[in-house]
Amino acid sequence: MFHRRRATMAAFLLPAIVIYGAFMLYPLARGVYLSMTDSLGGPIANFVGTEQYRAMADDPKVTAALWHTVLYAAVVVVAQNGLGLLFASLLFRRPKVRKTLSVVLLTPTLVSPVMAAFIWSYLFAPEGGINALLGVLGLDSLQHVWLGDTSTALYAVAAVNVWMFAGYSCAIFLAGYMSVPTDLLDAAAVDGASGWQRFRSVEWPMLAPALTVNVTLSLIGSLKVFEFPLVLTNGGPAGATDTLTMLVYRNVFGGGKFAFGIAVSVLLLVTVVVLSSATSSLLRLRERRI
Amino acid sequence: MISTLWRRTSGTLGTVLLCLGTLTFVLPFLFTVVTSLRTAADVARSPLGFPHSLTLHNFTEAFGQIHYGRSALNTLLITGLSCLSITVIGSLASYPLARITQNWSTWVYRLFILGTSVPIFVVVAPLYLLMRDLNLLDSYAGVVIIYTAINLPVAVFFYTSFVRSIPVDLEEAAALDGCGALRTFFTIILPLLRPITSTLLTFVALQVWNDLLVPLVFLQDPDKRTVMVNAYSFIDPHTVQPTTLFPAALLGVLPLLLIFVFLQRHVVAGMSAGAVKS
Repeated sequence: MFHRRRATMAAFLLPAIVIYGAFMLYPLARGVYLSMTDSLGGPIANFVGTEQYRAMADDPKVTAALWHTVLYAAVVVVAQNGLGLLFASLLFRRPKVRKTLSVVLLTPTLVSPVMAAFIWSYLFAPEGGINALLGVLGLDSLQHVWLGDTSTALYAVAAVNVWMFAGYSCAIFLAGYMSVPTDLLDAAAVDGASGWQRFRSVEWPMLAPALTVNVTLSLIGSLKVFEFPLVLTNGGPAGATDTLTMLVYRNVFGGGKFAFGIAVSVLLLVTVVVLSSATSSLLRLRERRI
Repeated sequence: MISTLWRRTSGTLGTVLLCLGTLTFVLPFLFTVVTSLRTAADVARSPLGFPHSLTLHNFTEAFGQIHYGRSALNTLLITGLSCLSITVIGSLASYPLARITQNWSTWVYRLFILGTSVPIFVVVAPLYLLMRDLNLLDSYAGVVIIYTAINLPVAVFFYTSFVRSIPVDLEEAAALDGCGALRTFFTIILPLLRPITSTLLTFVALQVWNDLLVPLVFLQDPDKRTVMVNAYSFIDPHTVQPTTLFPAALLGVLPLLLIFVFLQRHVVAGMSAGAVKS
């Protein structure tokens, strides 16, 4: 009886396996193969081995895009989680406003990346909101062409990313805070620990799992950023905000360098897998030690 | 006495500062709402000033420019069908993955989890070829299948960890009463999945509604385009006035904001799910 039960149960997996296998795993494998051909997207493709990868290594645009992607991710991971943690620890100490404010902080998350980019492209514009605000505050010297300057463009794009998802990091940290046993906090308060001491020696270690989740999610999310640079700068100025995803999109769907674009996408995959698995295993190791 | 008073004052002060901080944070959003209700001349006169008169004219203008009626319906259809297919296929798959503890099922599970870190960009080109060969370009079905495939890893992860936390006793009792796997799933497991389903639904709905890449690449027919694609292709943020830009941005998120108001508890839970358990 249980045997037949198990067979029926296993059959429940079929639709998922078919769809996931055909539309995710198969394209993944085919992509890796196509990156070793000279395919233009048509029926003819010759195997060329590592030629695309060698071309990629020689292409300064690819090296620059890889660097932009990693730098962008580093900035976003640090700023977004720092801000999220700050808001979460302040909110945790104020139960009365906690719920309302955390919901308010989440509103940017609901805005799609395209819409967030629309809003910020105006705020960053030479005659836009930020420069106008600086003017009102008498800080004219700080006014800047934020998206038009190669030294600030990437950070400006990253700032939009941080703005959109800091509330999300905050929500995850708050959920982590809720798992801190209250008697532990009470004990620390009775012992006369200051706010900072309580954070440092009680809350911070207890937040380790939330930190792991937050860092991993924001890392993967920011490495595959696409809409922000596309809408805000389209890779410019002078390629300063060209990320790996932008190169994939441009080469595959318009550049006529189909196989090359796919090779860049394989580089993106390797970057994501290596960085995210290294980070999350380091963080999990840290969790266990605490 | 004095120290209590001091603590209370500094506590209130901190709360006020925190509220102000939060307000600053969402200020760009509030600014967007206010500006989109102002006239272009008014905004040009003082971009940051208080509005003199409010108008809905900008919204009707943007509504026409991005073909909002049609594209919102398209997006709604795609989002709805994707949500349905992801939850049905995902929950079905999670039951055996959680209950059958054998080598092969562990491997299948791992294979699904692997997908959570594969960016869509890695498969987009071969997926395009595949969709072309299957004649699924420019079809809602094609887009829904793609969303299902790329969101299944998350669904499987959510559901499987949830089913694992359900005690097996109930199912064993049902089995002794002669319940097959199918009936056990529908009468016992499925009703218990409701809270995690609403969490997953808000997550998936956000992803699908807000996505640009998939409809941009796989839907070329203007009649089938989504809100994001139309907004992206008809509005150039670098040349357009805020009074056109902002209403367009707001129209894009409006349906989500409305849903959020009703589901905010689940949205918050969904966004932080997994953080505590892992």
